[in-house]
Amino acid sequence: MRRLTRYGVILGAGLLAVGCSAGAGSSPGTSSASGKASTNSVLTISNENGALWTCGFNPLNTTYALLAVGFIYEPLVYVNPLQNGKTTPMLATSWSWGNGNKTLTFQIRQGVKWSDGTPMTAADVAYTFNLIKKYPALDLTGAWSVLSSVTATGNTVTMNFSTVAVPYFYYIADQTPIVPQHIWSTLSNPSTNPITNPVGTGPYLMSKCSPSNITYTANPHYWQPGLPKISKIQYPAYTSNTTANNDLANGSAQWGAQYIPAINTFYTSKSPDYHYWFPPTVNVSLVPNLTNPLLNNVKVRQAMSYAINRNKVSTIGESGYEPPANQTGIVTPTFSSSLDNSAVTSWGNGYDPAKATALLQSAGFHMGSDGIMANAAGQKLAFTVLNIGDYSDWVASVQVIQQELKAVGIQITPDNLSNTDFEADLFYGKYQLAYYDQQTFGPSAYYELNNWLNSANTAPVGKSAASNYERWSSPSTDALLNQYATTTDSATQQSILNQIQNVMVTEVPIIPVTEAVDWYQYDTGSFSGWPTSGNPYAQPSAYEFPDNEQVLLHLSPK
Amino acid sequence: MRYALRRLGFFVLTLWAALTLNFLLPRLMPGNPALAMMSKFHGELNPKALVALETLFGLNSHQGLLSQYFGYLHQVVTGNFGTSLSQYPASVTSVIGSAIWWTVGLVGITTVLAFILGTGLGIVSAWRRGGKLDSVVPPVFVITSAIPYFWVAMVLVLVFGITLHWFPSQGGYYVTTDTPGFNLTFFQDVINHAFLPAMALLITTIGTWILTMRNTMITTLAEDYVRMARAKGLPGRRIMLNYAARNAILPNLVGFAMSLGFVVSGAILVEYVFNYPGVGYMLLQAVSGEDYPLMQGLFLLITVAVLLAILAADILTALLDPRTRTAR
Amino acid sequence: MAMPVSGVPTEAPAAQVPAGHALARVGRAVRSNRKATAGTILLVIFILIALFPGLIAHDSPTADAYPPHLGPSTAHLFGTNAYGQDLFAQVVWGTRNVLIIAFVVGLATTGIAVLIGVAAAYLGGAWDGTLGVLTDVLLVIPLFPLLIIIAAYAHGEGTIVLIMAITLTSWSYTARQLRSQALTLRNRDFLVAAKVRGERNLYVIVMEVIPTMTSLIVASFLTNALYAVLLASSLQFIGLGDPNTVSWGTTLYWAENNAALQTGEPLWAIAPGACIAALGAAFALLNYAFDEIGNPALRPVRRSKRVRST
Repeated sequence: MRRLTRYGVILGAGLLAVGCSAGAGSSPGTSSASGKASTNSVLTISNENGALWTCGFNPLNTTYALLAVGFIYEPLVYVNPLQNGKTTPMLATSWSWGNGNKTLTFQIRQGVKWSDGTPMTAADVAYTFNLIKKYPALDLTGAWSVLSSVTATGNTVTMNFSTVAVPYFYYIADQTPIVPQHIWSTLSNPSTNPITNPVGTGPYLMSKCSPSNITYTANPHYWQPGLPKISKIQYPAYTSNTTANNDLANGSAQWGAQYIPAINTFYTSKSPDYHYWFPPTVNVSLVPNLTNPLLNNVKVRQAMSYAINRNKVSTIGESGYEPPANQTGIVTPTFSSSLDNSAVTSWGNGYDPAKATALLQSAGFHMGSDGIMANAAGQKLAFTVLNIGDYSDWVASVQVIQQELKAVGIQITPDNLSNTDFEADLFYGKYQLAYYDQQTFGPSAYYELNNWLNSANTAPVGKSAASNYERWSSPSTDALLNQYATTTDSATQQSILNQIQNVMVTEVPIIPVTEAVDWYQYDTGSFSGWPTSGNPYAQPSAYEFPDNEQVLLHLSPK
Repeated sequence: MRYALRRLGFFVLTLWAALTLNFLLPRLMPGNPALAMMSKFHGELNPKALVALETLFGLNSHQGLLSQYFGYLHQVVTGNFGTSLSQYPASVTSVIGSAIWWTVGLVGITTVLAFILGTGLGIVSAWRRGGKLDSVVPPVFVITSAIPYFWVAMVLVLVFGITLHWFPSQGGYYVTTDTPGFNLTFFQDVINHAFLPAMALLITTIGTWILTMRNTMITTLAEDYVRMARAKGLPGRRIMLNYAARNAILPNLVGFAMSLGFVVSGAILVEYVFNYPGVGYMLLQAVSGEDYPLMQGLFLLITVAVLLAILAADILTALLDPRTRTAR
Repeated sequence: MAMPVSGVPTEAPAAQVPAGHALARVGRAVRSNRKATAGTILLVIFILIALFPGLIAHDSPTADAYPPHLGPSTAHLFGTNAYGQDLFAQVVWGTRNVLIIAFVVGLATTGIAVLIGVAAAYLGGAWDGTLGVLTDVLLVIPLFPLLIIIAAYAHGEGTIVLIMAITLTSWSYTARQLRSQALTLRNRDFLVAAKVRGERNLYVIVMEVIPTMTSLIVASFLTNALYAVLLASSLQFIGLGDPNTVSWGTTLYWAENNAALQTGEPLWAIAPGACIAALGAAFALLNYAFDEIGNPALRPVRRSKRVRST
């Protein structure tokens, strides 16, 4: 018996020894053996996508676009939403509107080659757009809802519009990657083909792809001389936030696109070179279903807006990462130049529970014995609010909102759903309140507001609404928004935006609470040239395309 | 022989039950979960994948339930488990294939270790009733067998991964620098990453085996033939191993197979906390990604694995213990 | 979730004992066995916490009322989490949800197991065969993955769905055990006597068989309660419960989501986990003690001085 225990002890010690030696040999410590050991001209991206890579690089298909656009494929013009639409010519050198803003002409850059050596021409541009027309599943921007024809002659591409839609310049010039006609025209089904060997004009080539990691190497024939400066990019497939965050914290990855909880403790305290910047993009709003008779009452909506302490939602629910929004719907500081000060002033103090209670009382509601306001007919201000259960920060934010609305007698009960269920209910109007943000963004406040308020984007309850989920429909709002789409004059545009802000503040069609942001961390110890709040030359997240290309072109190893 | 056939029959029956559960569950849930998911993919799936998905979830509503069922069984038998939705367009089988060896390695080695160590400790503890070991073992391991797997994993992550930095606390290997293959650095990397998850599994599962073995040993030691052996004057260790343990181990073997189901559950949670790229972690990813074909494929795989282990244990028991062949 | 500890079906006590006396026996046994005493004390502590949470924790568990990320102090025994909620209050108030699940599932599961196990043993024949196969099949299918799939389809509808799903899938092990024991009882004298007296089957089952199996039924209840706690908190931990309920598993879910371990708030994760472990240990200790009560061979050997006979 004694011998057995001795064996047991030795076995245990042996196991421990093997484990420890294996551990000590490549102990991670604060700087990972994996990342720092490799040369610092290799950039590793930390972007948790929740799934392994499928090694397809079709830039027109949403399943693969993330890995293809910006690295391998490029658009005609880069439009910077963070600098009010400042343009940088890419595959197009110049463009102009004509014919009452119904014709858009691009001059295509000469001397650009595809990565297989074939020259890129205007014919490729026309081919790309006509391909999208042929396969509507690829028309993610809806460009063909306003285009009538796209043709190429020589170095020029001419686009004719069926309706005037000046804001569509962003979707057409910036959001459409150009694909090679000589390869794609031979494919039997370009819309679903994964394109495992991509050929593009962009700064990088895909050199190796496995489900857990993609390696990009610099394109030696890229049309901008001397660029890109970084010779190799690693793009691992992270399936968990914690692993992705850990790699940023220990230096294995240098460009992060992550939500990091308690970011100072977790990340920035680990090195003076670690920084982050979260530029706001769109509003995360409490969305009322305006077909609900109680929510249709503007005073109820105004009261809700005054009852919410947006600062607290931002600090507690979003850890301070997402700034508080304001009722005008203008995202600040990104679009501060469009802010209408008179609308802000007339709105007054954002957080004013006394005013909220007064509004409800003037609308005929009185506090019931159960703490919920009710009107004379006995209808209570008690609603369910849909939320996406997976987004823990949204769940936390709605919890804060719930407590604040309770203080003025409005009861909301969160209903946390899966992504798919949530979208189904929201799009079809089967909800009372919901918590959501717009999924697309543009170079001015118009884009988001148009999505929310244009009646062309809505549908009756029971049918799917494209982006106007609250079912706001007002001819005067439509007139304003449609007028905006016809003009290129910035003074007119601003005047229209001012009137829209007035609508937001007086009619309260939606209640913006916080501002969604781009997630972005960067390591200045290894690379320089990062976008910062002082130099916002592009949207800084690795998942934003084609902005990611601009970042890659600015970066250089230290 | 008849016994083996009977067990095989039971195996097939259970497999059929699991398949039927897979078929019925999405249809029983309120608001067909697949329908909402389909609309998400409508423009992007190729027609064959669409048809397969529809068969899987019964969206061919023009077909009756029974014909849907046979269509589903046919799909399964031909090895078509559908296309993964979160890793589209990879097939479910290929996605599972990439993860399965991680779990087999982790769970397999840990289970064997736990069984050997646990049984050994149980035998020794029972042999020395009332001794120091025996007064410590039962309470300690009763408590460890009630601790949730994920909590042990979290404590290990906190102590050895984050505070002491002795071992990595995430992943299976360093993906950007190591290429999977038969090289030493890769193996070292794998062991490095597997150490803490294996410890977590070991700590929580070993208790069961120790205690079960101890209890059956104690009962066996009270048997007459053991007393006879003692009376004959045989050396203590020989009695302990060749007489008592050999017979006491049989119920433990059966328990080993049955507890495999629990080890699998534990592995899922351990993999989740360590983000270890195995089958359990993949199941949870599939759940959060609403990837129903992948979820179902994984569930079937886990069930088949457990069934195979039980079948193996049953056959082993039958070979070792003549009594079970004739008893019912 | 470890397997229940006894690998051997325990023998019924040698003599027939009426129900009332059986419970008294149980009570005495609990007091004399050290493990049982420890387990009982722990369990009683948790029950008290669940019944009177407001007396122990003065803060609301859900109000985001305090500065976030505070460490432990006299004002906040476990500190505050990233949302400014008092962690001690969360853990204390969460006890209620956990114990409800434990007891409801424990009772329901044991009830189903008694029904099916004893019925199978007593009715025999084709009934026994079918029920036996049903039990065995459910026994072998891995429960946790099945629960994950059910919970995934149900989209985290909350505690009720959790309770129902766990109950419907967890009864098979104890059903098997109860059936084995009921089988050994079938031909005991007192039962034969009852039948000869002319009592109906149902009476015999309810009034004679079941009381004799009391210790095993109580042990089964404890096992099932233990499982319920572990399964439910595991499901909540991975996000398949309702994240707005106050429970140990959901607190762990939020801790994991906020990388509590990596951001210097380990108590957020460790405290609820320790409670689950403690409650589980209480059930396990009691269960183990019942094993020893039911199977005298397992009782700790008391070293007593032998009186030399002269």
